[in-house]
Amino acid sequence: MAGSDCSCAECASDECLVEIRGLVKRYGSRKAIDGVDLTVQQGEVLGLLGPNGAGKSTTMAVLSTLTSFDAGTISLCGLRLPRDAARVKRLLGIVPQELALYPSLSGTQNLSFFGRIYGLRGRALSERIARVLEIVGLSNRARDPVRSYSGGMQRRLNMAASLLHRPRIVLLDEPMVGVDPQSRNLLLEHIERMRAECHTMIYTTHNMDEAARLCDRVAIMDGGRILAVDTTAELLKLLGSGVIHLACSGQESMAAPLAELESVRSLDTSDGVLRIRVSDTQAALLEITRLCHERSATIHSLEALEPNLESVFLHLTGKSLRD
Amino acid sequence: MWLQIKALAIKELQIFIRDPAAVLLVFLLPLGFVVLMSYALAEPFAEQRSRQIHLPVVDLDGGPLASKLLAELDQMEAIAVERRFQGQDLNRKSLEHLIAEGDRSIGLVLPAGLSRALRSRAGDPIAVELVSDPALGDQVVEPLLGTIRGLCERLSFQAFTPDRVDSLFERFGGSMPAIALDGIRNKVRTDVLTSLQTPSPVRLMRVAPASMQHVVRPDAFQQNVPGYTLFGIFWIVVLLAESVLREKRDGTFRRLLAAPLSRGVLLAGKLLPYYLVNLIQIALMLAAGRLIFGLDLGSSPGGLVLVGLAASASATGLGVLVAALVRTEAQARNLTILLLLTLAALGGCFVPRFIMPQAMQSAGLATPHAWALDAFQDILVRGQGVVEILPELGALMAFAAVFFLLGVWRFRFD
Ligand SMILES: Nc1ncnc2c1ncn2[C@@H]1O[C@H](COP(=O)(O)OP(=O)(O)OP(=O)(O)O)[C@@H](O)[C@H]1O
Ligand SMILES: [Mg+2]
Repeated sequence: MAGSDCSCAECASDECLVEIRGLVKRYGSRKAIDGVDLTVQQGEVLGLLGPNGAGKSTTMAVLSTLTSFDAGTISLCGLRLPRDAARVKRLLGIVPQELALYPSLSGTQNLSFFGRIYGLRGRALSERIARVLEIVGLSNRARDPVRSYSGGMQRRLNMAASLLHRPRIVLLDEPMVGVDPQSRNLLLEHIERMRAECHTMIYTTHNMDEAARLCDRVAIMDGGRILAVDTTAELLKLLGSGVIHLACSGQESMAAPLAELESVRSLDTSDGVLRIRVSDTQAALLEITRLCHERSATIHSLEALEPNLESVFLHLTGKSLRD
Repeated sequence: MWLQIKALAIKELQIFIRDPAAVLLVFLLPLGFVVLMSYALAEPFAEQRSRQIHLPVVDLDGGPLASKLLAELDQMEAIAVERRFQGQDLNRKSLEHLIAEGDRSIGLVLPAGLSRALRSRAGDPIAVELVSDPALGDQVVEPLLGTIRGLCERLSFQAFTPDRVDSLFERFGGSMPAIALDGIRNKVRTDVLTSLQTPSPVRLMRVAPASMQHVVRPDAFQQNVPGYTLFGIFWIVVLLAESVLREKRDGTFRRLLAAPLSRGVLLAGKLLPYYLVNLIQIALMLAAGRLIFGLDLGSSPGGLVLVGLAASASATGLGVLVAALVRTEAQARNLTILLLLTLAALGGCFVPRFIMPQAMQSAGLATPHAWALDAFQDILVRGQGVVEILPELGALMAFAAVFFLLGVWRFRFD
């Protein structure tokens, strides 16, 4: 699918992608983005996974030309920021973290307005409106004022508005925020359908399920830095077969004998907990309990983490993804 | 670019008409005020209409005919002649002062030589002056002028005819042949008849006190229709500021900034609809003034259009400035309402500036309202045209430019 259906005149290179090198964004003395390198291939969905304050929205704001940056280079479809900002804007579809809609206008009126801003007119406009309404499943509510929509419906319309002008790249900033669990699945389905419209997306979230389900690759972000970028499967391999967290009496003296155990690969301490990467979780649990028993160490907590992005994140940062 | 501005403007108007409170505020509130205040204040504006007229008088003639004139005036039920005011004999200066201060609305000055002129009916007519507040309606002044003119004529003839006869008899002495008597009779007849054709020996003049010259004052509707129109058009300042803050809060502003849309277009699309709302407001208010209250719109429709365009520009300009300065929607509502009420009051929208103390009148010039109101009243009240309102138009455009430039300079797009 790469490059073949590129209809935009602005697209300077055949190989449409995002390339970010050494990006730094400061707010006063604090670095919201601290040396980020990222590439997004044509047709790829890249997830930006990180906790609150990781710098996800700031990265999106810089990409969408809304915020300036202090160092680094950014090219989108061969265009450079900030130099080509005006042309870049036409290539981007933006789904802001907050809903960005006019509540007193109907769904159609909102879409019609945003479409006109992007230069759509007449039949082309009404066809696009019909199409994006279909994608997000709002065709039957399009005439109602947006304020009468449920939160999930407003989220869907918020996404639809970004698709009108057939953007090359869609930036979605936490589109699931404030969506109740029942609507979540539906919304995820709609986002998957959006891929048929626009292949390339950058998707920020602090929810690992969303990232695992939607994204081809996931970039794990914290404190303005990218800690790892890979497919979910590869990221999970970082954990080996799993991670075990142990808190026990005489913890310091336990580290050395634990590291000797056969199924233990590596080990470190953070927040008063021993984090043990293991090759075989079942075998390791047995060995660890046995060792503690032999040394008469009282186990305060013993936790085997499932191998998922959440535990990868925990493993990489020592922090939970959730607040 | 124009299509984008159009799209922005239409969106803004769609949102506006879905907000009944805003529509009410902008279109019905000013009209309601006009009705309320015009009827509530009809009395002070038309005070002189019903009551007895107190007519202070300066008699520079002092002759018998002047005294007789004043006596006859005083006998009329509707008129009370005053030769003294608060124990002081009146002179020309103190009379003008009374009127300029608003203690009396009209006064009479009988010139020296009036009695002689009335008796002789020769030479140039002599001026009898009615000194009045220029704002005093014709319905008060005209009957009074008529009354005085009629009295003068009657007194003149009563004095002139016997006087004439006496002088003729004197001239011809005691010898009076029959033939001569006929001659006298003929002479008297022709003299009286010709004098009936000569112009009146008095010329009644309506003058204003020196300090009040050239001012024609508005009536209740001429004050209130433009006054509340101006008050009303500045409400868009609140709406515009709120609309900008709402877009920022709702994030739609960021979406627009991320769209291929220049900031100039974004701003133009924001302002244009409110400018149009202003023009519609003014047109509606003047139409309502004409149709409902019978307001005379003067003879310069072009001038009215120009004042409307310039006043709206200053209102929209202030809207940009306020939108750039306020930070919360509560500020937009409360502070702005305070600001608008103050400006409108200072600018004479509620109470005409001419009844304010001088210092307040000068302070009013710092508001666009005052200039716009003056321009409207130049046209509506004084029948003036585009040339006479150029200074006011210039001032309004200066207000608009300063507001707009400051506003754009301070405007935060993110
Ligand atoms: N306008 C700003 N002024 C100052 N600091 C800012 C600004 N915007 C963001 N920051 C700071 O930059 C850092 C990154 O914020 P950002 O909004 O990008 O985080 P995020 O990953 O999107 O978090 P969340 O999950 O809460 O949306 C935070 O420390 C934040 O306080
Ligand atoms: Mg964010």
